[in-house]
Amino acid sequence: MKQTAGPVLTAWKALLTVMYGLPILWIVLTSFKSSGDVFSTSSALIFSPTTEAYRDVLTADLLKPLSQSVLIATGTTVLVLLIAIPAAYGLARTRGHLTSIGLALLIVLQMMPQTATVIPLFQVFGSWTLLDSTVGVILADTALLAPFATLLLRPFFRSVPPELEEAGSIDGASLMRTFVSIVVPVARNGIFTVGTLVFLLAWGEFLYAVNFFLSPGEYPLSVLLAQQVSAFGINWPGLMALAVVTSIPILIVFTSTYRLLRDGLTVGAVK
Amino acid sequence: MTAPLTATRAPVTPRARSGRQRQVRLVFLLPAAVFMGLFSIYPLIQLVRMSVSAVTVGTLNQEWVFTGLDNFSRSFSGEGAPALTRTLVFVVVVTGLGMLLGLAAAITLRTRGRWSGFLLALMVFVWALPPVVNGSVWKFLLADSGLFNTVLLASGLRDSPVPFLYDQHWALMSVAFVNAFAVIPFNALVFRAALMNIPPETFEAAALDGASRWQEIRHIMLPSVRSSTLVLLVLTIVYGFRSFDFIYVMTYGGPGTATNTLPFLGYMQAFVRYDFGLGAATSVAAVLGVLVLAAVYARSIRREESES
Repeated sequence: MKQTAGPVLTAWKALLTVMYGLPILWIVLTSFKSSGDVFSTSSALIFSPTTEAYRDVLTADLLKPLSQSVLIATGTTVLVLLIAIPAAYGLARTRGHLTSIGLALLIVLQMMPQTATVIPLFQVFGSWTLLDSTVGVILADTALLAPFATLLLRPFFRSVPPELEEAGSIDGASLMRTFVSIVVPVARNGIFTVGTLVFLLAWGEFLYAVNFFLSPGEYPLSVLLAQQVSAFGINWPGLMALAVVTSIPILIVFTSTYRLLRDGLTVGAVK
Repeated sequence: MTAPLTATRAPVTPRARSGRQRQVRLVFLLPAAVFMGLFSIYPLIQLVRMSVSAVTVGTLNQEWVFTGLDNFSRSFSGEGAPALTRTLVFVVVVTGLGMLLGLAAAITLRTRGRWSGFLLALMVFVWALPPVVNGSVWKFLLADSGLFNTVLLASGLRDSPVPFLYDQHWALMSVAFVNAFAVIPFNALVFRAALMNIPPETFEAAALDGASRWQEIRHIMLPSVRSSTLVLLVLTIVYGFRSFDFIYVMTYGGPGTATNTLPFLGYMQAFVRYDFGLGAATSVAAVLGVLVLAAVYARSIRREESES
């Protein structure tokens, strides 16, 4: 049966399209404006585009923040997966008190306000000399995202039929080998989904980075953006050009994993 | 349901050895346990210790003087109490908008077709963008000469710009709205997954009976999303409660203290005023709130398991 949408639903759909399309459109349009055109009503939509803002933003100075972002996001993704994949498998295949306690802890840690954890981590990292280092930020981001990743991965491991593993163990393969060569490949969709999400979240993280890096030269893109937008006298075209630059990797990751995200996101979050 | 978060009783299997072999797999939890112990649990213990001590940025790595509940009484006789009220208002707005509009979006996104497909992808993309990006563009849209005020002034609805981000009451509402904006795509995705599970025959039967669209929503769609609603509700409340990125980017807690929610206030006390003891006390209060929500969450997941 073909569903025909009523006028109310069509209007609502149009409103949603504007609500989510407009901010994106505005970021891109503004990044091509000159400072003079930004707030002028007559040139809201029709203006002569200029790449001035991009020329100001895309300088050699941007290489360091960009490489910091890449380093932090990939480092965090790898480390989170190294920890969360075995943990999610362990929690999927065991039961008893330890498993229940583990799950309860993960739920609590996943919900911790980051503004609360940044306070003691600053002190702890200070005494472990992890402040002002990229490794410190990666470790903090991993602690932030590993609980969420483990909980999201667990259902994917539960859906791997145990018979597959039993077949492996009859062949005499060790627990570890069965896990690496049988279980992990079967659960790869879940691992890709979770890995993508961790990458996206680590790319946007800025609270740990802004506080743990003591020298602004080490800041990743997200922190540059956060700092410029809270400054007085914002240069909007420059800021929006920086926002576009920060979002391009997200767009690439998003377009290549959209289907996985759309279908995989709802698995662990609710069910 | 795919992931019971509680240990369900196993059917008695003839293979007695499998029970033992299963528990061997607890070894797989070891890396996570060590890592989380060092970088999550130990810092949390430090947070609690800090909250009952006099700690400033200068004494951060020295011996701390124990001061009992002094930090807590200082926090809650001062800015803590109004911050708590603000947090409640903020969470109610974010959750209300996030749930209602998330469901409404899911209902329109349920239909197949190019527009729905495009809109869903667009919304998930906006959701995936870093909060700093979304926060920046909304700060721009809500500025005095931003798009919203330009339209309001040009249409004659207002003769002066709406102070979206620098009036006490408007600011909290504006940031709450943007937070809801950011969570709606995720909620819509979850609701949509529940709606897609309804067999098409149900709608066909309803159409034959001459059900109106509203009756379809009320009698077919609402019951089918009920089981996901409670869990999603808790998740949205937690999201609103711990949110800080849009506050940081759009208002930095201001004007004055108008957008200092409890978690954000704790951060400001520690990192802007360098009173780590006070900030830790405020944050411990926020953590306690989260513990309550986590308990509700675990219970609602268990209930969902037993219902299905």
